[in-house]
Amino acid sequence: MPNDSSVTRFTGATHYVLDDELAQIVNISMALEMPLLLKGEPGTGKTMLAHAIAESLNMRLIVLNVKSSMKLVEALYQYDTLTRLNDSRFGDSTRDVSNIEEYIKMGKIGQSFVSDERVVLLIDEIDKADTDFQDDMLDVLDQMEFDIIEIDKTIKAKNRPVIIITSNAKKDLSDPFLGRCNFHHIAFPEPDMMRQIVRVHFSNIDKDLLDNAVSTFYRLRDLRGLEKKPATRELINWIRALRSDPDFKVKDLVKGDTPYLGVLFKKSPDYVVAQNSVARFRR
Amino acid sequence: MFVDFFYILKQIGIPVSPTSFLRLQKALSMGIINSIDDFYMAARSILVKSERYFDLYDQAFAHYFEGAELKEPDEMIISDMARALLEEWLKSPKELAEALGVDESELSKMTPEELMQYFKDRLKEQTEAHHGGSKWIGTGGTSPVGHSGYHPGGMRVGGISRNKSAVKVAMDRRYRDYSQEGPLTQSQIGEALKRLRNMVPVGPKDQVNVDETIYRTMKNAGEIEIVFDRSLKDRLKIILAIDNGGWSMEPYIAIVQTLFHYARAQFKDLKILFFHNTIYDTLWEDPQRWHRPLLVNDLVRFDPETRFIILGDASMSPYELMATDGSIHIEERSGRPSYERLQFIAGTFPHAIWLNPKLENEWPYTRTISMIREIFPMFELTLDGLEAAVTHMMSKN
Repeated sequence: MPNDSSVTRFTGATHYVLDDELAQIVNISMALEMPLLLKGEPGTGKTMLAHAIAESLNMRLIVLNVKSSMKLVEALYQYDTLTRLNDSRFGDSTRDVSNIEEYIKMGKIGQSFVSDERVVLLIDEIDKADTDFQDDMLDVLDQMEFDIIEIDKTIKAKNRPVIIITSNAKKDLSDPFLGRCNFHHIAFPEPDMMRQIVRVHFSNIDKDLLDNAVSTFYRLRDLRGLEKKPATRELINWIRALRSDPDFKVKDLVKGDTPYLGVLFKKSPDYVVAQNSVARFRR
Repeated sequence: MFVDFFYILKQIGIPVSPTSFLRLQKALSMGIINSIDDFYMAARSILVKSERYFDLYDQAFAHYFEGAELKEPDEMIISDMARALLEEWLKSPKELAEALGVDESELSKMTPEELMQYFKDRLKEQTEAHHGGSKWIGTGGTSPVGHSGYHPGGMRVGGISRNKSAVKVAMDRRYRDYSQEGPLTQSQIGEALKRLRNMVPVGPKDQVNVDETIYRTMKNAGEIEIVFDRSLKDRLKIILAIDNGGWSMEPYIAIVQTLFHYARAQFKDLKILFFHNTIYDTLWEDPQRWHRPLLVNDLVRFDPETRFIILGDASMSPYELMATDGSIHIEERSGRPSYERLQFIAGTFPHAIWLNPKLENEWPYTRTISMIREIFPMFELTLDGLEAAVTHMMSKN
């Protein structure tokens, strides 16, 4: 409840490099009990942040992956009619068929409300759903309660979850939605920050490799005409690939050889663009 | 506290709501904001809801806490713009005079120096009135000031520092880039077109229809009968007609390609047709507009529910649209002007729209655009325009 938000402050986790800005915002959102809306390029660690918060606060993380066809009620609860029908027909289960409550299953938001401890609720990629879903959902999160129509019961949150919402879209969400959230935009990490991030993942990485890989990575990101720029995730995987190749030498990177481009560029036009310009680096 | 800061934000154009301001007060009273850094972050995350305004916020913050000047566009930028205007003037005096709303002959009396000065004055006037909205010069997109933001070079970093790092951060204006409109990417187009769909049942019957099941079971006197339905899938029919000829579409190739690729990947029932400038007797199924013609008259065979999207800049000489022999291709001579053909298409497909890669504020300068707008609802090919287009196409259902 409110008091433990000021006691438990968020300072960072083992696999997530946090800048002070973000830590501050997370803490303010927790104190104000408002959902935190995170926007930013894919691969800037929006989803990872929720995991990190959960880890460092020692809370359970519940993830609601939003899908475009999703209805709000699915996120709240589900009434399993089919099982009930079967039970009433065959009567071989231990459930009491006349008690509808036994056939109500909690959705992700529901789970976060009924949980006995405070949890972190991550609502991932909210922009996929339509505007009605978004607004209705915030109503529920504002009130911290919802009704189960079938059994005429109101579910109230036992503990207010820490809510993190992520959005990839460049398009803005609706005004009422934004009005109820705190907002933060995660910028793509600067090279220095990126080096730290890589070090968190590969604690024993060679400095030469780190510097060259990161600078090559930023050079490739700056290419013109890319549709999807490689992000942190791609860089990490790429370094993993470089390290696992016994024939690879850091010298090659300095010379301008860039193996495993496919790890960085996943769309074929981007791959072609990258390949052409890598050929130019080499010259 | 900080009421005037709130009003500064409002004044420079950040949409801030009183509720969020009260929330900031609450945060202040809770004692979680202990330094100016905290305040910088807290106020931004609570008050500012889009990264597009981060730059403005930084400026306002630096102004409020450090007294950095909120900038007028500086002399250099103004003279750059004036020079561009001058070039424009040399190319087509008449057009520019019209755009500025002045008499051509009056301008032509001036020496180049006087002309420069005149343009500069006009620009300054304009920036004061419109907060740097420099798009008022609409001569066919050659203006050097390509977007609508308030974007002079950089903030003056001369302010006396009192070692307040948040202010320094604000003075850095790290978020400058985000306030510009980025190019339209495939995923953004997907975002905008997502609502363009028509759900119909297809595929295997694998979803339980609860209502029907209950009904049948009751009919069966309690003997359970489970009814399955097909699941709903999107089966919207779309015809996309693209203007792929002529130099006038050249600047928009990239954006059209993006839309094209998205459309091909996304819509199952999509027909792509090509035309040059405007539509006469035939549309073409091949981009070379040679091998596979499709007579416009044959369009009646298609489902009238089809969403007919025309993509072109709608810019041509008026006779190409109106004259009976307007087509620049000699073989298209049916005696019907393109204008009539377009009307025919609009009549055949009630859900037809025109997407124009030119920005809306450039439209009034091309006559054929306004003529075509009488036939088709026209939308610009930007995120907002696509959204409006989709809303329009789905609304008449």
